[in-house]
Amino acid sequence: MEDTNNSIYALKTSVGQERNVARLLSRKAQVSGIGISAILVPESLKGYILVESSTKIDLRNPDLKVQHLRGVVEGKHGITFEEAKRFLKPEPIISSIQKGSIVELISGPFKGERAKVVRIDESREEVVLELIEAAVPIPVTVKADQIRIIQKEAD
Amino acid sequence: MNACTVCKRLTPKERCDVCGNPTSSNWSGLLIITDPEESELAKELNITIPGEYCLRVR
Repeated sequence: MEDTNNSIYALKTSVGQERNVARLLSRKAQVSGIGISAILVPESLKGYILVESSTKIDLRNPDLKVQHLRGVVEGKHGITFEEAKRFLKPEPIISSIQKGSIVELISGPFKGERAKVVRIDESREEVVLELIEAAVPIPVTVKADQIRIIQKEAD
Repeated sequence: MNACTVCKRLTPKERCDVCGNPTSSNWSGLLIITDPEESELAKELNITIPGEYCLRVR
């Protein structure tokens, strides 16, 4: 696209090591000049990083020997810039939560409990929940990234 | 690491090295720019200084 010959490659890494691999690769790119201009580590892609490079990424190149780097994803057309740009502006989780949704808490003292969304505070990215299995309904306020949606809206 | 709440640049300090705005430890997504002149992703986000950036900061 446009006036650049850069391509985007998806590299497979060990899960949880995406940031470390990206930092090591960027250091190697600065030292050896392998043509890497940007490395993208989206939160939503587990085990993969996206690399923008002017040269073809070939893991047989000794400059690209990095721990936890598993391989290059081979594809017919590769990844377009439009696809990569989607990851640049991640949608906040809170916009997908609706009042009345059934959610599961994924961290904190109520981890594993199911709850119903009572109120949403978009500016602070917090939701007020009511635990379903509790005998007495007590409102619990948690951050939006501590919950997982199970059912969009209660019937 | 902390992220600048305005320019999203990552820094270990309380204030951003470049724009001087306060930083936050609550950030997600990582973008490392090594060559902003060549990078199409850097142009998209108007990044001109090489370094580490986050994608979202609170």
